[in-house]
Amino acid sequence: MANHVSRGGGLVHRRTLLKGAAALGAAGALPAIIARRGNAAEVPTLVNSIRSLSNPYHATWNKGGEAFAKSVGAEYVTLVTEGNSEKGIADIKAILAKTGGNCVVNVDPNDSPDARPIVEACQAAGASVLTQWNKPEDLHPWDHDPNYVAHISFSGVPYGKQMAETLIKAMGGKGGIVALGGIESNVPAIERKAGLMQALEANPDVKLLDFQVANWSATEGLEKTNAWLTQYGDEIGGIWAANDDMALAAVEALRADGRAGKVPVTGVDGIQLAIEAILAGEMAGTVSWDPYWQGGMGLAIGYQARTGGFDPAKEPKEHREFYGTGVAVTSENAQSFYDANIKAEPQLDWKDIWGRVSGQIQYG
Amino acid sequence: MSAASPLDAPDAPPKRTRRLRLAAWAPVIVLMVLCAIIAVVNPNFLTFGNFVRITQTAAIPLVLGIGATFIILMGSIDLSVEGILTCSAVVLSMLVLNGANSNDLGILGALIVLAIGGLIGLVNGLIHVRLRIPSFMTTLGTWFIGVGVANALLGGMAIRITDPVIRGLAVERFLGFPWGVWIAALALIVAVVIQNHTRFGRYLFAIGGGEDLAVLSGIPVARVRITAFALAGVFYALGGILVAAQLGLGNAQIGTGRLFTTVTAVVVGGTSLMGGEGGVLRTLVGVLIVVVLSNGMVLMGVPSSVQIGVQGLMIIAAVASSIDRSKLRVVK
Repeated sequence: MANHVSRGGGLVHRRTLLKGAAALGAAGALPAIIARRGNAAEVPTLVNSIRSLSNPYHATWNKGGEAFAKSVGAEYVTLVTEGNSEKGIADIKAILAKTGGNCVVNVDPNDSPDARPIVEACQAAGASVLTQWNKPEDLHPWDHDPNYVAHISFSGVPYGKQMAETLIKAMGGKGGIVALGGIESNVPAIERKAGLMQALEANPDVKLLDFQVANWSATEGLEKTNAWLTQYGDEIGGIWAANDDMALAAVEALRADGRAGKVPVTGVDGIQLAIEAILAGEMAGTVSWDPYWQGGMGLAIGYQARTGGFDPAKEPKEHREFYGTGVAVTSENAQSFYDANIKAEPQLDWKDIWGRVSGQIQYG
Repeated sequence: MSAASPLDAPDAPPKRTRRLRLAAWAPVIVLMVLCAIIAVVNPNFLTFGNFVRITQTAAIPLVLGIGATFIILMGSIDLSVEGILTCSAVVLSMLVLNGANSNDLGILGALIVLAIGGLIGLVNGLIHVRLRIPSFMTTLGTWFIGVGVANALLGGMAIRITDPVIRGLAVERFLGFPWGVWIAALALIVAVVIQNHTRFGRYLFAIGGGEDLAVLSGIPVARVRITAFALAGVFYALGGILVAAQLGLGNAQIGTGRLFTTVTAVVVGGTSLMGGEGGVLRTLVGVLIVVVLSNGMVLMGVPSSVQIGVQGLMIIAAVASSIDRSKLRVVK
C-alpha cells in the first residue's frame, strides 16, 4: 500500500524491462542450435547431440565433432539436451525436418529409453544415426538397417580394474584403500566398482577399508574423504575414485591434511586437471575415454556409411554394437598424453573408423 | 503475542513460554545427542583432527546459510545461492593467479568477487521489490543467470587456482584451523552484530513477523528488502571464494547441490520459513547438525544407500521438534 503512488510509474518500467527480458530470453535460446554453414549442398549436415557444454567431457566431445566437420567441409550443428529428454528428442526432430533427413546424428542420449524414439525418427526421415553410452538392451542397430549405423559404449569393468591395479602398484602391493563410487544405479558406476572388486580379489594383501557413494560429485567426495581421514588416518594407503572430479576432491582433502602426493589417488575420465595432477605426482592414474574421438569419430563412421564408404548392413555385429578403447594414463605416459591431446589439438585419422573397436557389447 | 485464545486455561501462558523456550533449544539438544551417539560408536569422532575437519566442512554451508537466513527471516526465499556461488568461484578463478590466463589480482580479485556477489544480490532485491515479482521467481531467474554466466565464461572447462593466498584459505592454518574457518567465524560475528545490534537487523524480524504492520509503523520495507538481498549476495560470494579455495578450481558445476544443504541447514536450525523467527546462531547449529550427521554416518559405517534416507528423517525430526504448533493456524 505504501507504493500506491509509484505503482503507475512502476508499470512503465516493468514493461520496458519485460521487453528487455524477452530480448534476452530470445538471445539465450539461440545458442541451443549453433549452426555453421558448409559449402556443398549434398554433403550431409553433421549433428552432435550431447547433455551440455558446461562440463569438460562434452565440451571436448563438441570440439572433436567440429574438427571432423571441418575436415570434410560439412555443416556442423550442436544440440544440447541440458538433461531434458523431451528437449533432446524434439531438437533432433527439428533438425531432421530442417535438413530433410540428409544428416548424420551422433547422440549421447540423455537416458536409455530416449534412444528408441531418436532412432525411429531418424529412420523415418532417412538420416544416419549413431548412439553412444545409453540405449535399451533390446534396441539393436541391425534391426534398423541401414539408418542405425552403430552403438558405441565403454565397458567400465576392465578400466575400473586397471585403475585399481595401478593404485595397488603405486602402494607397493599392500595396505588399505578407500573408494568413492558414482551414483549407485548408474551402469558405469556399477561396472567400475565391479572392476575394483576383481582387482581386490586378486590382491589379498590389499584391504578395502570402506566404499562410499559420492554421486560423481566433488563436494561429496571431499566430505567423505575428510571423514575417512578421521576414521582411518594413516591406514589409508590409496584412494580409488570412479571419476576424476571425486579423485581431484580427494587430493584436495589430502592436501588440507598435508598428505597430497603421499597417498596415491586414481580416477576415471581423463579430464585435463586429472592429467595435470598426474604430472604433479598427486594422482597415480586415470582413464581417458577420449571424448574428442567420440564426438569426431561417431560422426566419421556415420558420414562414411552415408557417403558410401561402407554398407552398415554388411558389417559384422562387432562393428555395429561395440566397446571403444579407453587409454590408461599413468605417470609413465602422462607427459606424452598431455602433449598430444591437451597442449596440441589431437590429431586423429578420421578414416580409421574401426581402429578402437575392442569387442562386441555384452549384455546381461 | 497476546493471541491466548479464550479456551486456554488460566495457567496456560507461563506453560507455553516454557515450552517455547524448550522448543528453541531443540536443535541444540539434537546436535548434542547426535554427537554423543557418534562418539560412542566411533571414539575417533572426538579427536581434535576430526573437529578441525568438521569446522572446515561447516565453514562453507555456514557462510551460505547466514546469507539465506537474512532472507528467510523476512519470510522470503533465495534460490540464487548456487548461481551467485558458481559465478563468484568462476570469476575468482579467472582473476587470481591461475592455470589459464595471466591475471594475478590476489586479494583484490577476492574483493571484486564480493562486490559482484553484492551486485547480483542487489539486482535480486531491486527486481523483487520494484517489479513486485515474488522472491522465489526472481531468485530462480538469477540462479540460472549466474550459472549461465559461469558457463559462458568457461565453456565447460575448469580453471585451476594456483594463487597461494587463495589456496592458503584451505591449506594454511592458524592455531590449528584453516584460515577459511576463521573467515567463516568472522562472518558469523559480523552477521550476529548486524542481526542483533543494528536497526536493519530488527527491521528484518519486523518484516518477517508481519509486513503490513511493518509498513504501517514506517519501516522502509522496500529499502530493507533490497539491502538484505544485496547482503546475502555478498555472503554467497564469500562462500564461492571458500569453495574455490577448497577445491582449488573454478568450474560451472562447483555449486551443484549447495542450495539444498543451505536451506536445510537454516530450517533445521530452527529459523521459520514463515519469517520473523530464528537467526544466524540457529543457522550455525543447523549447519553443524547437517555436517556432523554426514561425517558421523561415514564414521559409523552406515551404508551409502541408507545415508540419504537418514538425512531426510533427521530433517523432519529436527523441524518437528522445534516448531511451536500453537502459533500455526495454517500449514501450507
